[in-house]
Amino acid sequence: MRTKLALSFGLLAAFLTVDGPLWAHHGGSEYDTKNLRTLRGTVTEYYWANPHCQIFLDVKDDSGKTVNWGIETLAPAVLRRAGWNSQLLKPGEVVTVTIAPSKKGTPIGMIRKIVLPGGKELTGGELGERPPQP
Amino acid sequence: MAKDSPERDLTLLQRPTRRRIQQKDRRCDRLIKFVGMQLTFVPAALLAFSAVAVTQSSRPAAASMHAANAKSDNAKFDPRDFSGVWNPAPFMQPKGEVNPLDLGGNPNPLPPFTTAGRATYEANKKFVAAGDVTSCDPYGTARNFFTPRPFEVINSKDRVLQHFEYYSDWREIWTDGRNYPDDLEPDYMGYSLGNWEGDTFVVDSKGYNGKQFLTWQGFPISQQMHQTERWQRVDRDTLRILFTFNDPPNYAKPWSITYFWKLKSYPLDAHPCTISELKEWDERMGHVDGLPGLDYSKPGMDKSNSNK
Repeated sequence: MRTKLALSFGLLAAFLTVDGPLWAHHGGSEYDTKNLRTLRGTVTEYYWANPHCQIFLDVKDDSGKTVNWGIETLAPAVLRRAGWNSQLLKPGEVVTVTIAPSKKGTPIGMIRKIVLPGGKELTGGELGERPPQP
Repeated sequence: MAKDSPERDLTLLQRPTRRRIQQKDRRCDRLIKFVGMQLTFVPAALLAFSAVAVTQSSRPAAASMHAANAKSDNAKFDPRDFSGVWNPAPFMQPKGEVNPLDLGGNPNPLPPFTTAGRATYEANKKFVAAGDVTSCDPYGTARNFFTPRPFEVINSKDRVLQHFEYYSDWREIWTDGRNYPDDLEPDYMGYSLGNWEGDTFVVDSKGYNGKQFLTWQGFPISQQMHQTERWQRVDRDTLRILFTFNDPPNYAKPWSITYFWKLKSYPLDAHPCTISELKEWDERMGHVDGLPGLDYSKPGMDKSNSNK
């Protein structure tokens, strides 16, 4: 799974940049693709719309303070092909997400993987074809 | 179809799209049944004659084209039939070519810019870095090809139609032997003529309005753009297109990109561009991260059609 995740992540990065930062192409944040973070938190809102769907998540930081994170994803069309749909998440559910965090240190991140309450894992979707495996 | 396979789950699609796919599936089933009956009852000599006739036809026969495209193995295919959904495979692009999806800010190599073309690109680059979020302008043909999203090809009597998933743009490629109209009006998607050279589909396009970027990273396009494409189905699952861009105001000489797509069995999904959704996304996510948001005016336009 770790290899698969890294591959998906690398593919997205390869599309959107060669050696520079990962840009969300709709005016979004600059994400730190080399230091992924895993967050476990409670869904406060799941917003299913173009250009990119969003998950808002209450996460307790190291000091015990609750911070509401905004998790960016890709478009509904891409997510549907990865197994997502508009009813996938409900407020109050506890999920674990792996994200590329904003380089600005704000509570914003780009989804890489989600683990649903039942344990099912989904990637954040793929853009274009995956290169052949070595 | 398995419920956990969203690519095949038609219930997730909007009703018109679902109906279109279901109708297409029914047509394919009938065609496959019909072909099966021919194989069972028609004498071998007649079958051989039919195969030759299909091969020599200037337009692919519907039965052979849909039956071939419906199969999941690497069966024989009609090299002149591009119908189906094609997903980009940028990793197949030859090294050393201009990478039309390199959004890292410093693509290398760059196209052979003129001085004016380079200046326009530099202006566009700032806009792209800020997010290019302001409009739902049609993407034009080249920028649509080079999004990391699939497109569908549909054959019509007198046209080949392209439907691009990203922003749902449509393109018509006229195949009825016509020439460019004398009163060609500039448009985002241009005007395209398609002809065959053997099994290569050659597409010639002019009539762009210069209001869009050529590629996502802001390479410019003017109203003088003359774009040619050479489509080849190099095997059943692989489409290769050689693009050549000839746009003297922006580029000192014609330059080319070779790009590849893979045939997919899933239907095209929907991704319309909706200003209200763009705005809401920007307010929810972009502004949280201290980004400038929607207050941009798009630079680098070809304004030669302006009446001012």
